[in-house]
Amino acid sequence: MLKQERNERTRAYIFLSIGLIITLYPFVLMVMSSFMTPSQLLNNPSMIIPMPGTLSGYTGLFKDLNVLLLFKNTIIIAGSVTLLNLFFDSLAAFALAKLKFPGKNALFGFMLFTLMIPGVLFFIPTYTMLYHWGWVNHYRALIIPSFVQFYSIFLMKQFMEQIPDEVIEAARIDGASDPVIYSRIIVPMSIPVMATIAILTFMGAWNDFFGPLLYLRSPKMWTVQLGLQMFSSSIPGQNVQVLWAGEVVITLPILIVFLFLQKYFIRAFTNVSFK
Amino acid sequence: MVMKEFVKTLKRSKWGYIFVAPWIVGFLVFSAYPLWLGIKMTFMNYNLVAPQSMKFIGFQNWINGFTDPLFWRSLLNILYNQAIFITLTFFIALLVAYLLFKISNGNKIWGAFFRSAYFVPTITSVVVVMLVLGNITAPYGPIQTLLVKWHILSQPIVWNLVPILIMPVIAVITSWMSFGIQAIILLGGMGTIPTEFTEAARIDGARESTIFWRIIFPLLRPQIVFIMVMNAIGGLQMFTQVYVNFGVTGGPDQAGMTPVLYIYSEGLSKFQMGYSSTLGFILSILIIIATVITLKVLQERS
Repeated sequence: MLKQERNERTRAYIFLSIGLIITLYPFVLMVMSSFMTPSQLLNNPSMIIPMPGTLSGYTGLFKDLNVLLLFKNTIIIAGSVTLLNLFFDSLAAFALAKLKFPGKNALFGFMLFTLMIPGVLFFIPTYTMLYHWGWVNHYRALIIPSFVQFYSIFLMKQFMEQIPDEVIEAARIDGASDPVIYSRIIVPMSIPVMATIAILTFMGAWNDFFGPLLYLRSPKMWTVQLGLQMFSSSIPGQNVQVLWAGEVVITLPILIVFLFLQKYFIRAFTNVSFK
Repeated sequence: MVMKEFVKTLKRSKWGYIFVAPWIVGFLVFSAYPLWLGIKMTFMNYNLVAPQSMKFIGFQNWINGFTDPLFWRSLLNILYNQAIFITLTFFIALLVAYLLFKISNGNKIWGAFFRSAYFVPTITSVVVVMLVLGNITAPYGPIQTLLVKWHILSQPIVWNLVPILIMPVIAVITSWMSFGIQAIILLGGMGTIPTEFTEAARIDGARESTIFWRIIFPLLRPQIVFIMVMNAIGGLQMFTQVYVNFGVTGGPDQAGMTPVLYIYSEGLSKFQMGYSSTLGFILSILIIIATVITLKVLQERS
């Protein structure tokens, strides 16, 4: 019995390792290619280790891709969206999880309903509206419309419901008002879910391509994803290693955050299901 | 008296309303109002850069939309893509989830390592994935080089020039990106199944495959419903994968045209806001129908 179980486990490890190679090979290739010269890339596409390596891909990032500017722009957008969401989502989640007010359940039901509406429905009308407001080619077109998001409210609400009511009642008896309870009790006790939302929101904005493509016209405002795509569709062949290096550096920040905070990432994606 | 009660309730509820107000304002300004604007636009001939030509045209946009061969072509393309994507991703994810589940009471560190590694494609951007996997699947990329060497292919294929291959290849690439997250979601479901269920069956001498399909699989329904609903909503709105490859053209023979790419090209290249808005409504209605069908079918299987 035990031996059979061990055999099964060994087999599982073997299959998982094969899957692992398929999963990670593109990343290995990406990193290795970023150190190759154009002729190495052209003549030996499946070569794994660049001999000799070159750093021209990475120096080209500053010259041809202007990667620092792309980073700065993306951080402005993704950072603003994340901060706004942390604040407004947690306020709404607190109200829905712990406060009583007439119409609360109806409101929450309605919010759930909005989750079913496909985003494409709003795409053209919102673009038209923001165009008339003169928001095209401004960061606010990417920041303000997503300052509060129900999906995050939903995750935060689930978490906050687990905070014991007694803690809140005790504070209330001591004369604390709801804003005080929010800032002194709810926020400190919700750090794990706040971290999850921060990661999800930041990553979403960092990896977003559609939004920047719609609203950012001038190259000096482009984000990492948009900048890389524009670069890839315009580069002459001798700069192809710069594209590889660009792929590496725009993936790296998210990957590093993931490595440190993976338990929050995975929780964010697994906590949800339709019951 | 009643009035007094009411005012008292309102006063006590003051902060609740204030805290949810931002969402309500956001919804009204960035969802409800655009929706209203969008409905109006579907009855207009409205060119964004020539607004003076705006004209009420009744249901003409709707009629044009429902009879637009390219729009239907784009829908067929995405269905072709999703049929492959959904099947492939789901079964790979199911297998990976089960393997991860098998090792979950073994070495903790290896378990965590595999879970994290399979998760990495999910956090990579679509642009990067398309560029890197586009290279890997290119005519002289590693995959085709091997296939030619092993005589499976007689010569390398430029898949993004072969209409029939475009959607399957994109489906496989998107699968590579998504199977890990689906596996992790399914694994979460497997973790909640009481071990007594599977142990009891094992003691009764049930085969491994029987245990999986008869006991574990049916209990994953909440996770499966979640994955399939997300597929229905997200998959039909594919954009970046095809845009990165073909721009607004949709590729050779428009085999890479998706509905959202078509809406984008009508709205952002031709500035036909009335027409593109109508196509957005038609697509949304189809997505909602697909979602409802998914929920119905999967929930009746209980």
